[in-house]
Amino acid sequence: MSRLLVAVVLLLATVLSAVTLTVIGPWAGPEMEKFMPVLQEFEKQTGIKIEYKIYRAEDLANLLPAQFAAKKAPGDVIFMWASFIREYGQKGHILTLNGVLDETKFLPGALDAVKVGDKLYGAAYTGKVKPGFWYRKSFFAKHGLTPPTTWNEFVELLEKIKKIPQIKAPIASGDGVGWPLSDVTEHFLISFGGPELQLDLIEGNIRWDSNLVMKGMNKLVSLLKNKYFGEPTEWTLVLKQWWNGDYALYFMGSWITGMVDDPDDLGVFALPGANGVVFGADYAFVPKYTQYPEEAKKLIAWLCGPEGQALQVKQGGHIATAVGIDLSIYPPVDREVAKIIQGVTALPDLDDSIGGEFQPTFWDQLKLLWVAPERLNDVIRTLQEKAPKK
Amino acid sequence: MRTKAKYVAFFVVPAFALVAIFVVYPVARTVVLSFLDSDGKFVGLQNYIRVLLSREILNLEGLSRGFPLGALVHNLLWIAIHLPLTLALGLVLAVLLRNVRGGAVIKSIIFLGMVMPMIVGGVMINFIFDRNLGIFNAFLKIFGIPAKSWTAYPDSALLALIFGSVWLWVGFSTVLYSAGLETIPKDLYEAAQLDGASALKIFTKITIPMLRPITIVVVTMTLLWELKVFDIVYVATMGGPGGASNVLALQMYTYAFRAMDFNRSAVVAVLLTMSTLLVSLPLLRTLRDDRT
Repeated sequence: MSRLLVAVVLLLATVLSAVTLTVIGPWAGPEMEKFMPVLQEFEKQTGIKIEYKIYRAEDLANLLPAQFAAKKAPGDVIFMWASFIREYGQKGHILTLNGVLDETKFLPGALDAVKVGDKLYGAAYTGKVKPGFWYRKSFFAKHGLTPPTTWNEFVELLEKIKKIPQIKAPIASGDGVGWPLSDVTEHFLISFGGPELQLDLIEGNIRWDSNLVMKGMNKLVSLLKNKYFGEPTEWTLVLKQWWNGDYALYFMGSWITGMVDDPDDLGVFALPGANGVVFGADYAFVPKYTQYPEEAKKLIAWLCGPEGQALQVKQGGHIATAVGIDLSIYPPVDREVAKIIQGVTALPDLDDSIGGEFQPTFWDQLKLLWVAPERLNDVIRTLQEKAPKK
Repeated sequence: MRTKAKYVAFFVVPAFALVAIFVVYPVARTVVLSFLDSDGKFVGLQNYIRVLLSREILNLEGLSRGFPLGALVHNLLWIAIHLPLTLALGLVLAVLLRNVRGGAVIKSIIFLGMVMPMIVGGVMINFIFDRNLGIFNAFLKIFGIPAKSWTAYPDSALLALIFGSVWLWVGFSTVLYSAGLETIPKDLYEAAQLDGASALKIFTKITIPMLRPITIVVVTMTLLWELKVFDIVYVATMGGPGGASNVLALQMYTYAFRAMDFNRSAVVAVLLTMSTLLVSLPLLRTLRDDRT
């Protein structure tokens, strides 16, 4: 009897002491399916159980400040915007990862967005590139279209596409919280204002009504006025419409390769003259209020290390931030993306880097611009009001 | 006597304590916050002036350029359009469905909009006015009006939300008016009919005056809902495009959780509380009169 009791107690103790880490990330559906094998591999190697929860970064931005104020955290490893990690790291709510990650094993600058001075508050997981306008090779072949090499060719291409019967508009406009519109806008700003412009806007070194910004915005507005962009529609819905031929082009990040039926039919081109590209790494952090700080650090080090990243890029749609990942691991379409970004400057995402009140304002003002391009000056004035200032 | 007092204290003190901790203190703290700056220094009415002069709250340029007009004006527009429509539709539906076979079933269907979570309501409003999927565009197509996503344009986003919310809220007024109609004595109608009063006369001289207490409740509850409307807007448009459908409660949220400016957020909260108190007074007065 006493032996049985001891056995039960031991069993209970084992069950109760088993560590289960909660990972919070934004990926759902097909993206989540490609992330789960990575987590499962960690479970297999370490015996540490992992529970994955889906939260959009926009929702976490509302939830986490209140949780931190109550000295709590909803997860042990949380994927979030770099600007948020920096801000709350400085406020003491996030554990530093100095010594946990080998900074030399990351692409140059990959960790800068989550560093303040010497303190490293987050880790860069794999990233996504926002290389340009995606098209279906079969659609282009069917209609005798070719990717443009100059701005005039680009406009001519749009005009040709507009004349194709059944086309709603040449370029699909993704809607939702607002980031699909901000991504394409950033591409125009970088293409016509140069990569430095993106960095200057993030730092507040340049005004939104400056000539450099207006040059890019005017180009964008000229396309909007000519109805080359479709009406903003929920981004996953419009993805299907674009794939089915309602639109010919769609500006989206490299994760699109994991969201279509036949990635081999995908082609992509950047705006002619673009010599910068937004490389958005997915950043993760360990909150100070985790019950299992050591296990959480172990997980984040593994995930963001070469082994975790290699496993993720193999699934498609991701580009490694860790150095030494063999290119042969990438699916062919991702290798195409990798080619586009060769020789151009990798830049942080504008609104993710600024965060705060500017981000929703940027998204909202672009929604206005898309349907009322004649109100460009109103949009610029509002953005200038909310933009960071030196 | 002392024992009775002990019992009273036993039951009343916890309730008072809870109200003090969870209602009185947060309200008082919010009011105090509205007069402080981010460093906790007293700044008088500075926050109020800053908020009331901001384009997010009151955008006078919008009078000549169109939406956005500012969250305050948007809320007032919501009241000006939504309240009379909800009242009139609710009353008409209640009267029409009173003696119709299957009226109860139809009323239940109308009430579905009310029992649905407003978050879901917001998503549905987006669908209703969507260019590709929306029933509204399908209806307009009959008249040859071109389709568009009505919530995506600054000149129609707020109106789409208001009209969509009429559909969500009209069940409330219909059910209350239906209950109110049952309380009107039948002999009043019979006497009026004997005197040769027309249906319109009976409606305006008997039905409407007899429904006054119900109307006060419906008006008060609807006004309170219109003042604090948040979820529908948050889900359907997030106050956009370009702030064209922004409302006070959403602006309060934006100040607090996006700008992390709790002082400005407290100002909006105080203004909203004062407005709701003003709106509630007639209801409280009527309830008191009914009791006496």
